[in-house]
Amino acid sequence: MLLTVEGLEVGFGAFSPVDDVAFSIDRGEILGIVGESGSGKSLTAIAIMGLLSRIGGRIVAGRICFDGIELAGLPEAKLRRLRGGRIALITQNPMTSLDGMMRVGPQIDQAARLHLGLDRRAARARSLELMADLRIPDPARVYDLYPHQLSGGMKQRIVIAMALAGDPELLVADEPTTALDVTVQAQIVQILVELVKRRGLAMILITHDMGVVAQTCDRVAVMYCGRVIERAQVNAIFEDPRHPYTQALIRCIPRRDMTRGSMQPIPGMVPNVANQPAGCRFNPRCPRVADICHTEIPGLRVSAGDHGVACLRADAA
Amino acid sequence: MFLFIIKRLVLLVPVFFVVSLVVFLIIHLVPGNPIDNLMRAGSSSAQRVQIAAKYGLDRSLAEQYFVWMSRLMTGDLGTSIIQGRPVGALIARNLPYSLQLGGAALLFSALTGITAGVLAASFHGTRLDDGISGLILLGSTVPSFWLGLLLILVFAVWLGWVPISGARGWTSLILPVIATGVGGIALVARVTRIAMIETARQDFVMLLHAKGLSPLVIQLRHVLRHALVPVVTILALRIGWILGGTVTIEYVFARPGLGSLLIRGLNQRDYPLVQACLLMLAMAVILGTLIGDIVQAAMDPRQREERP
Repeated sequence: MLLTVEGLEVGFGAFSPVDDVAFSIDRGEILGIVGESGSGKSLTAIAIMGLLSRIGGRIVAGRICFDGIELAGLPEAKLRRLRGGRIALITQNPMTSLDGMMRVGPQIDQAARLHLGLDRRAARARSLELMADLRIPDPARVYDLYPHQLSGGMKQRIVIAMALAGDPELLVADEPTTALDVTVQAQIVQILVELVKRRGLAMILITHDMGVVAQTCDRVAVMYCGRVIERAQVNAIFEDPRHPYTQALIRCIPRRDMTRGSMQPIPGMVPNVANQPAGCRFNPRCPRVADICHTEIPGLRVSAGDHGVACLRADAA
Repeated sequence: MFLFIIKRLVLLVPVFFVVSLVVFLIIHLVPGNPIDNLMRAGSSSAQRVQIAAKYGLDRSLAEQYFVWMSRLMTGDLGTSIIQGRPVGALIARNLPYSLQLGGAALLFSALTGITAGVLAASFHGTRLDDGISGLILLGSTVPSFWLGLLLILVFAVWLGWVPISGARGWTSLILPVIATGVGGIALVARVTRIAMIETARQDFVMLLHAKGLSPLVIQLRHVLRHALVPVVTILALRIGWILGGTVTIEYVFARPGLGSLLIRGLNQRDYPLVQACLLMLAMAVILGTLIGDIVQAAMDPRQREERP
């Protein structure tokens, strides 16, 4: 396994918005992390990047093991060599992810110059190649443009090129298509999938779009309130979802044969970090809730086919 | 960019006339006039009329404005009524002192202020930040004339390192520059600090960290560049202020300068002198703003395109 996360707990002050998160990913694989806003998806990504301290958080417990290197507790200087080099981040909003006062080309160059030791000209050549690879038309012209002169889709391609510039092995893509138009979303997703397959990268794709997950991922981890509540091969998640939350999520995917008003939203709201229910955190919204759910925290129980579920009543239905 | 500058320069023409009218009216509408200052006790009212006629003060305000303006167009700033010398020459003699003090103070406050702001922002939330922020608060509240007196006492009287007053040699410039610059340092440092802290919260900075760049490079090459845009605005506004706003410092250090010239003129209701000084200071403020806008446009590609 290229990356293994075990029992990860992320703390902000007295709160732990991410708790007991575990998953792993290998080269050539796409792991989807799905969940609503506030489920701890993005924090997990930031934790893997080793950037929690930038936003005032810290790793309280658990391991993040990347190719035999333990990232939790690794000194900042060593983290920095991995960051942008072997592990790269693609962020959510391309509108705000680029430095608006700098031409986009040199922004791509940075990682290559830093991690591959290329000089200005070699880095530029490499960036132009990457841009062409990502189907950016006329790379030599775009190289000298400023971010505000590009469309959202083009900016996201630049962000992807930036991530690839340091020749990473692991891509962490935090909702890479959320801020884009639907038509552009499909293109970007396609580009990312191609990259992973062709370059043998590993990619963690964080999203709340089950449709994207179905199209692209090999395996899926579903998060709710900072915990992984179900984890399985992508087919198993869609054909045999075992956690009531996963089942509800899948019922929320719009389908063509749906009649008006037949969409079933999940009742209730995601509880606040400071105000988590005791026991299973999904219990206020769960159709299958029993007494035990209010007292006991369910751990992830893994059964055949590496299908893990964190539900005390998984066998009840 | 070139077109942008030309457009802004053309816009200065109407502004110039409005400012000149306001300046002219202000000084003519306040009570008192230069004749009172010229009359000796016991002078007759006939003499009074004669003096008024000599300086054209007996004509209507519109006529006086027109005469002033048409002379101004030929480069003639008029003659000081009280001092009896060409206003142009008076300004030319005082301007270099103001430029020296103002320029040096501006440079001093810009460099020190930006450095302090960068340090405070980079060590945001630590004791160093608290310390710098405390000094900033102190610096922005200490009156410059009082600081000037204190500096004279310590460095000129007790230690004897620099001259007490006057404007001879560059050593006499040190204390006035510090006294004038401290308020500017505080302002610049505060703006730099806040702008950097706010910029550092933006997504693109997170992504720069994700590239593995060192925090120092990110702070100086990316965050500071964004933060300098509002700082340039502040500095540009201070250009005009620093030319005429150092009056108290000029008094404390017995230095000549535009500020002192203007105050003397005001006390004596010396219309031509006051008008010329005020007009010049107003234009300095406007030009300062223009320079600020141009520098900003040169720094920020987004602004360059928004105002073509």
